[in-house]
Formats: sequence, C-alpha cells, structure tokens
Amino acid sequence: MKTYLSLSLKLTLIVVAVSASVIFSLTLYNINDQSISFENIYVDKAKDTAAALEIFRNETITNTSFPAAINSIQEQNNDSIEYIHFFEKKQDNIILAHSTNSSEYDGNHDEYVLLSMNESKIVKITSSNTKKITVIAPGFSSTNQSFAYEFSYLTTDAYQILQQRSTNLFLISGASLFILIFSVLFLLRHTIVKPIIQFRDAAKIFGKGNLQTRIPLSSNDELGELADAFNTMAEDLEKSRETLEEYNKILERLIDQKDAFIGQLGHDLKNPLQPLIGLLPILIQQEKDPKMKEHLKVMNENAQYMKELIFKTLELAKLRTEKISFEFDKLPLSETVDRVITTQKPMLEKNNISISNLIPKNIFMYADTLRLQEVFKNLITNAVKYTPDNGGKISISAKEKKDYVQVSITDTGIGMSKEQIKKIFDEFYRADSSTHGQDSVGLGLSITKRIIEKHNGKIWAESNGKDKGSTFHFTLPKKGEKNQ
Amino acid sequence: MKKIMIVDDEPGVLYTVKTGLEALDDSYEVITVESGKECLDHLEEANPDLIILDLMMPGMSGWTTYDKIRDQEKWQKTPIIFLTARTDDIAKRAGNFLAEDYLEKPVDVMVIKERIEKLMNKNKEK
Repeated sequence: MKTYLSLSLKLTLIVVAVSASVIFSLTLYNINDQSISFENIYVDKAKDTAAALEIFRNETITNTSFPAAINSIQEQNNDSIEYIHFFEKKQDNIILAHSTNSSEYDGNHDEYVLLSMNESKIVKITSSNTKKITVIAPGFSSTNQSFAYEFSYLTTDAYQILQQRSTNLFLISGASLFILIFSVLFLLRHTIVKPIIQFRDAAKIFGKGNLQTRIPLSSNDELGELADAFNTMAEDLEKSRETLEEYNKILERLIDQKDAFIGQLGHDLKNPLQPLIGLLPILIQQEKDPKMKEHLKVMNENAQYMKELIFKTLELAKLRTEKISFEFDKLPLSETVDRVITTQKPMLEKNNISISNLIPKNIFMYADTLRLQEVFKNLITNAVKYTPDNGGKISISAKEKKDYVQVSITDTGIGMSKEQIKKIFDEFYRADSSTHGQDSVGLGLSITKRIIEKHNGKIWAESNGKDKGSTFHFTLPKKGEKNQ
Repeated sequence: MKKIMIVDDEPGVLYTVKTGLEALDDSYEVITVESGKECLDHLEEANPDLIILDLMMPGMSGWTTYDKIRDQEKWQKTPIIFLTARTDDIAKRAGNFLAEDYLEKPVDVMVIKERIEKLMNKNKEK
C-alpha cells in the first residue's frame, strides 16, 4: 500500500533537516572557535609565566631557589597552577630538572617538549571531569633552546563559563531554528501548498461536473501559469459541453420524433390490416376449392406475419422510451413460469418438446407481472424455435444470489456459435435465416433484453457450440422499491 | 336473430366486422355506428343484444360512451366488448374489467364471434 505523505509534511521535513544542519554546524563552528581563543589565553599565560621564571632561573639556578620562585609566581597568579615542570635539554636527553609535582610527569613528553622548545603549545586538555589544560612554553630565547616549562592549569571556573556560553548558544540557535522553520514553512504554505490545495479542490469540483469552476490565482510564477492553463482548459471544456448539450437536445428531439413517428406509423399500419386479419380466416373456412384455399392460407400467414412485425416493432419503440412505466410486484417465480408454460402448452406439444420447471417454490423477485410473463414467453418460444421437434427438452431453473435472482433457460437445440451469441440480441437478427414463420420476426430477444434492462437486470446467452444446446441467463433484483 | 351494434371510427373495422359476422352466420344482424354520440342516439332504435365498442375514438371516447350506456337502466346488463389498439390502455383500468371483455385490433372476426357467443350464453344463464 502506498503511504500518503502530505506535501506540507514533506516540505516540513526538508526545511527542518536543512535549517537544523545549517544552524547547528554554524553553532558548533562558533563554539569551537570560542574554545580555541579560550585555550590561547592559557598559551599566553604560559608564555608570561615562563618569561617571569626565566628571570629567576638566570639569577640562581638552584634546586632550592627555583621552587621558591615558582611558589611566589603561583601565589601571584589568579589561575591556580597545578604544577610546573622544568625541562632541561642536555645533549640528546631530556631531563626533568625541577618540578612542583614530579608525580605528574609520566616521562612521555620528550617529543613534544622538543618541538616546543621555541614555541608555546597546548599539549593536553584533560577530560571534562578534571578540567585541566597543560601548556608547554619555551624557557629561553630562541638562541638557546635548552629549556622548556610545562604548566598545568586548573580551569574549572573558566570551563564552566565556556560551557554556559555553549549552552546559551545552543539555546539561541535552537530558538532561531524554530523561528526560521516556521517562517519558511509559512512562506511555503502560502506560496506553494495553498495554491496546490486550491488546484486540488478545483479539480475535484470540476471532475464532479461543475465546469464553471475556475482558479482565482494570479502569481507571476509557474503556479500562476498553471492556473491560467487550468482556467483556459475549463473554459474550452465548458464550451464543448454546451455544444454537446445542444446536440444532445437535438438528438433527444429527433428520438422523440422518431418514436412518435413509429407510433403513428404502427397505428396507421394496423388499420389496413384489419380487413385482412378479420376476414381471411373466414374466407379460408368457407372456400371450397382446395387450390384457392391454399392461396388464401399463404395470404393469411403473411398478414399474420405483418401483424406480428408491427406489434413487435411498436413494442420495441415503446420500451426504448423512458416514459414507459412498469408496475413492480413481488412475484413468486415458479408460479409465474408455470402460468406461462400453461399458455405455451399447445405450441410445445405441436413441436414435441418437453419442458420442466426446476425453480424452487420459495424464490421471489420484483418485476412487472405482464412483462415478466412476456420474457418467459419469448425465451421459451425462442428455445422451441431452435430445438428440432424430435423430443427436445427445455428446462428452466433459478438460483438465489445476494441481491438478485438468476434464471436460466436451457434447451437441447441447435446451439450457437460465438459470433451468433454476439448478435443474438440485435434487432431483426435470426440465428437461422431459414426459420421463417409468424413467430419469427426477430424482435423477441431484443424486446426481452429491453424488458430485463428496464428491471435493472442483465441477460446473456451461452452455448457449447453447434448442436450442443443453448442457455439464456437473466438476472432480476430480489428486492426493490414498489414504484407506483 | 342476434343484433350486434359496433361503434368505431374506422370504416375498415366496421366493414370487416359486419361483413365477417354476417357471412359466418345468417342469424347475425350488425348495426354500425361511427361515434359514441351516434351510438347513444341510435341505441333505443337499434336495440342491440351486444355492443362492440372502440376505446380510442375522436370526440366521445369509448370509456365515456361505456359510462353513458351503463347509466341507463335498460342497458346495464347488455354485454359490451371493447376493441382497442393499445393493450396498455386496458392495463390502466384492468381492475374493473375481465380479460374477456376486450379484444386487441386488428381482430379476427372468428375470434369476435366466439367471444360474442360466450358472453351471450353467460348472460342467458343469469
């Protein structure tokens, strides 16, 4: 799963990271600088003390007088000198000549004492617990590099001041970091995040179909350009939708006109059929000449076919309009099917086809009674039409699903190819063009499909191929609002 | 003699039913009228045993004509068969009428004859 990270959060993280690293490196640099200058004070002190000691050393270089001198210097000095070592270079050996505290001398200073014979240098800063700083200072002028002093200062107070300063510095930099982060975020929020949220909201509203949405943003940057582009796009879309709506109105009017035309045409076509439908059966009955009788039968069949065609076309046109109203009732499915089977019995017997209703008694569905009967009638008629009359079988079954009922009508007929299945619900399509009788107008399945769709159901067909039978499935809602 | 009155604005329907019924059975006499008003005007004079009434007529509709016929005591029991071009008109008032009361156009005269005989026999039994 993709985790959602808001733009604000990402920007906050970046700003915090950048400002923190900048501010803290500056602070650390500053602290480092301060401690270096702090240490230099001790280097200078060491030089001064060394110079003072040189005077004593030149006068009387004795083991007794020197410590006394050191003591007097130590007394004068405000900073507490912990110890002083005096190194003397004789040939290649370094000798610790005098010391206020010889135990402090660990004998490992040879190298840096040599280095420092002409240069003052900090050689050791002890841990923060002891807070001592050890400085080597040259004992004599540069012409004689034989002496060096090592001073160890106790620096507790001074270090505390330095630490306090560092803490203050950290606090100040922390506060300024805080202020910096907030002001940068405030700026980013107003210049980037807020416009982006505006874009997002506008796009959402726009997507919902409100094409009047515009982004009221004017800034001289890429976001301003983006807003302009969005607004131009919105205007164009609005215009094209208006055009489409106009076309749609024209189309709707044309469809209405077409439906009205078909309705009128159907009505007008029914009237001239009346004498044919009304009188041809009588003529057939009363005609004595068998040849004439045969002619009349053909005429009658064609008149009946014409009638069926007109009725089905009218019905299809009617089903296509939204105006048609269905009356939904809770119907017992199995009983409805039984009723249709009863009306279709003569046709089934004539074609020597048996039919079985396998629908459980307790299934109900919401449908318009007459329309549902028509659906079953059409599907049974269709199954009979494509099942050879040598003992074919039709079975009707149903399964209850969560929200709907699925009904299946299976026959043992001639089956369908995949191409035929695709076209089976098309108007005037006949799977077998040789089938041509009064029941075979080719509109039954189109009408059935429309009825099912008006019930919010689906219909589809299946077949295992030629001569392997066909199954028609349709679904109807199990529950529904009773409209009207 | 069975006197049938047929009310329809379509001459084709009037012709078909009259010719057909009279050809099928000599005992039928079919009186044709072209509107609801004409039907009510000639009702007394024609004195039909059964009325075939078109529902969709200009001027007075079949439903109005039906109500006006039934308003008169003499014609309250006379069988009436409705003719209609649209079954959904019937569906709207289906609660009031039985399926055997109406026929859909275009009608087969032999079917009309069957229906007439069925209704007239039923009336006799009463």
